[in-house]
Amino acid sequence: MSDISRRKFLQTTSASALLLFSGLGRESQAASVQSYPSKKIGNIKNLKVNEPLAFNYPDNNSPCVLVNVGKEASGGIGQGKSVVSFSTRCTHMGCPLTYNNGRLVCKCHYSMFDVSRNGQTYQGLASQWVAQVVLRLDAATGNIYAEGVEGLIYGRIGNLKLS
Amino acid sequence: MSLTKRKDTLPIPPVDAERYTTVCQYCSAGCGYNVFVWPEKRSGTAKSNAFHVDLSKQGDIMSGFSYTETMHNVITRKNGNRYNLAIIPAKESRINKGDYSIRGGTNALTAYTPTGVTKDRLKYPLLRKENGFVAISWDHAVEIIATLTKKSMDKYGADSVAMKFYDHGSSGLGFEDNWGAGKFFLTGVKTQYLSIHNRPAYNSEVWGSRERGMHELNYDVDDARLADTIVLWGANAYEGATIFYTEHIMPNLQGGSIDEKKREFASGEPADEGRIVIIDPRKNATTTVSQDISAERVLHLRPNLGTDWILANALARIAWENKWYDNDYLQKRTDMKTFEDYKSKSLELAKSLSAFLADAEKITGVSRKEMEEAAAWIAKPKAGGFKRRTLTLYEKGIIWNMKNYDQVAAIAQLNVLTHNVGRPGTGCGRLGGHQEGYVRPGAPTPGSIYAGGPPKNVDKYVTGGGGKIYWVGATDPYLSTPNSKFFKKSVKKRATDLLDYLDNGGIPSDPKAYIAKVLEAFEKTDGLFMVVQDIYKTHTSEDAMLILPAAGWGEAVDTSINCHSRLLRIYDKFMDAPGEALPDWKILALVGNKIKALYTADGNKEMAARFSGMEWKTDAEVFADGAQEFGDNRATEAEEARLSAECYKGVTHEMLRKLGNEGIQTPVRQDPATGKLFGTKRRYQHTFASKDGLFKWYGTDAWTGYPAEIAKYLDNPTYPYWFTTGRSQHVWQTMYHDKRIPEKLMTVPLPYLEIHPDDASKLSLNTGDMAEVFNEEGSCLALVYVNDATKPGLVFGIMFHAKGTMNNLTSSYTDPKTTIPWYKGTKVGVKKYYGKLDDAIKTVSLLSNNDFRTQ
Ligand code: SF4
Ligand code: FES
Repeated sequence: MSDISRRKFLQTTSASALLLFSGLGRESQAASVQSYPSKKIGNIKNLKVNEPLAFNYPDNNSPCVLVNVGKEASGGIGQGKSVVSFSTRCTHMGCPLTYNNGRLVCKCHYSMFDVSRNGQTYQGLASQWVAQVVLRLDAATGNIYAEGVEGLIYGRIGNLKLS
Repeated sequence: MSLTKRKDTLPIPPVDAERYTTVCQYCSAGCGYNVFVWPEKRSGTAKSNAFHVDLSKQGDIMSGFSYTETMHNVITRKNGNRYNLAIIPAKESRINKGDYSIRGGTNALTAYTPTGVTKDRLKYPLLRKENGFVAISWDHAVEIIATLTKKSMDKYGADSVAMKFYDHGSSGLGFEDNWGAGKFFLTGVKTQYLSIHNRPAYNSEVWGSRERGMHELNYDVDDARLADTIVLWGANAYEGATIFYTEHIMPNLQGGSIDEKKREFASGEPADEGRIVIIDPRKNATTTVSQDISAERVLHLRPNLGTDWILANALARIAWENKWYDNDYLQKRTDMKTFEDYKSKSLELAKSLSAFLADAEKITGVSRKEMEEAAAWIAKPKAGGFKRRTLTLYEKGIIWNMKNYDQVAAIAQLNVLTHNVGRPGTGCGRLGGHQEGYVRPGAPTPGSIYAGGPPKNVDKYVTGGGGKIYWVGATDPYLSTPNSKFFKKSVKKRATDLLDYLDNGGIPSDPKAYIAKVLEAFEKTDGLFMVVQDIYKTHTSEDAMLILPAAGWGEAVDTSINCHSRLLRIYDKFMDAPGEALPDWKILALVGNKIKALYTADGNKEMAARFSGMEWKTDAEVFADGAQEFGDNRATEAEEARLSAECYKGVTHEMLRKLGNEGIQTPVRQDPATGKLFGTKRRYQHTFASKDGLFKWYGTDAWTGYPAEIAKYLDNPTYPYWFTTGRSQHVWQTMYHDKRIPEKLMTVPLPYLEIHPDDASKLSLNTGDMAEVFNEEGSCLALVYVNDATKPGLVFGIMFHAKGTMNNLTSSYTDPKTTIPWYKGTKVGVKKYYGKLDDAIKTVSLLSNNDFRTQ
């Protein structure tokens, strides 16, 4: 990697690094039982279109984003099936992804992922589509739960296999 | 809910997993990869594994180690056992440093598996019968094609056998297969009707540079990080040679290579962030990524189609007027006799500068101001009088332009005029599409019209009724040849005539009776016996009589060079080919040896001799045999220019296996004093590759408008749009592998068209609609993307796609000097499609692929 790209990354990750310490303590144990934890990550009533919400899942070391894209999206929940969630580790080489207007963009090598199309790489270098978080909506309360991840989180041999 | 099958865990190779080095099978960048193979049921651990990486920790960002879902597969070997296969980018390669693209990142998914997406690989020779293809033995296949070739040559002459075969490295596989094909067709058959993969003739695409004394691969990846200015001319690096862009051009634009510059440059010489000049009618992703890095260091010129050589000459004239050249260099290194011709015809010194530039503006559509700025970025000395260092790379936008020869020559000359070759941070040549691996006996046509050419047009020959046998190897001309609709129609008719004749009374299965009936058909019809040699069935193979199954990447030992460093490496065999598939060299050797036996039985020693020398047993023997073609490579460093660009004489497979991802740069020379082998980093520091070592100038043609094949459309309102083509980031060539990989096909499901919003609104077209693109040559249905990549009046289409080809629209024009087609320009009409939209629209992304902004 060129030095400049690495430097650039260090600048851009400081925000997400803060997030690493904000999750629940229990999840790291989930790795040993090999099943995804259920985690409340937000409430559908508070989600505004194109205003992403950052959280960590399935453990504190895995930044994700929850977003209402304002139109039907593959794997979406809610009335318009428009609420989706993805890992924000770029599946190319792990840089942080930025949500913007229906897509996740990586400024390291410019991969772009379409969040309403299953996180497919519609431009750029990432040969693996970005990992999508499985969501459940509690209709009564509007609470949204993360309950699994489809696809591999970058930098892991298994999504739940960190020691 | 996922559109594709996903994994959330990957198998771990144990420490003792088999390990091989290879190079990506795709683009000119030639990224290094490591391959791991281990029994399916065995596993390493997070702490102890063949990657020697602690997998119990979250992997670091940009660590250079990546192992993702698309980098793993499960294969079955001939022994019937299943094995894990992991193909991961090599961190230790100085080409990619662990980086990889969306194409190479799926190398593992292309491996043959008996039940997966590649299960329809060709496994046995197939013969066309009444109701389709049936499997036959290699013995029968070889007997049929060898006997037919021999008898056809005996009765109708060598030219009755025509061929269209790849000649390159990477996906085509390299030196070994090319030497096999060369021995068979050039020494054995000796037909004049040879052609190279997609194009209609057997030629170099850059005779305009080579005949000046400058091979097109003369630079190193380091030069892209050292250059003050990079020029990409008709060369979409971010989407076509991706890792070369992200690892070598991008860091330079970001200022990440300034320290390297300081080390390499003269003392006191300015070393700043790089600049880039992009000359392309399209605002492609290379342009917008570069602009995102630093808009003020990007200059984007958008010439009218076909006019680039006029622009190159205009930039040269501006450099000349400003004295941005080194007279001493010109005198010592270039041929001042031919320079007079260049001055009068290319620089047109008899014309005033303002008249000259006014004409250039009118022809190219590029303003004088832009020309002056570009010329300064390319040639104006830096502060302190230091020569600027400019690396100029062109590719298909130039090569497959109108007037191929003059386009290439004009750019080569601009760079030599400004001494932008042979110094660190300079160079002038191809960006490349695929990798290279050419070693063949001498071709029947050595050069352009100025050097014994032009070569014969094989498309015109076979579509016009010429030839009896047409042998197509690892190329799919029904999609990829220019004017492909006409080509397909004509070849299909000839193939059908032959089949109908054979079918009358039944197609015999006894090879002798079959051969006799084909020979009868040769007499009585103008039928064409087409042989397709490939790894899958192709569009063209629909009309083949015989299909021969070839081994692919990783299924044989091969060697190739990349384009940006001429780096020779081994592409080791890590798995078995499916069924009875064989490496191309072996197929051609089997047929060659059989023809030799037939001539020997006839007592025809002369012809038997032509087909001898193909008795190789191993890939390594073929490689060593091919090396003899390069002649004596004892040379000092200063004499490197006389060596053939791809010379690897003295190098063996074993040596390359030891060198692994490090490889060695061709031309390889043997030091006269020590006998040791040395690679060549950068070319033409001392002399050029002409007899007297001087660069040979050439006076280019004046602008005379468009050729008849295009001129017919100019004032015709039915075809109002200029039309150009290119490639997509995602898929490789005709998508022979990619159409089988669901993620790829979902993202690029159909041929597509890019159109400017102004034009789209006139046609009531929106992104996601389908459009009919048409002209008198043919038509193609395409998915529409409305974006600002094209200009008003210009539309762009993907060159070809598994589901349709835009080459249906391209004309049959070729440059009379070289027989290279103008793939990249014609005129078309566009209409909204009124049929039902393809289901693919529901899963494809419709976002704009040249917009990277996040604010
Ligand atoms: S840039 Fe080219 S060589 Fe490198 S991984 Fe991609 S396709 Fe392969
Ligand atoms: S890390 Fe390379 S594109 Fe994201």
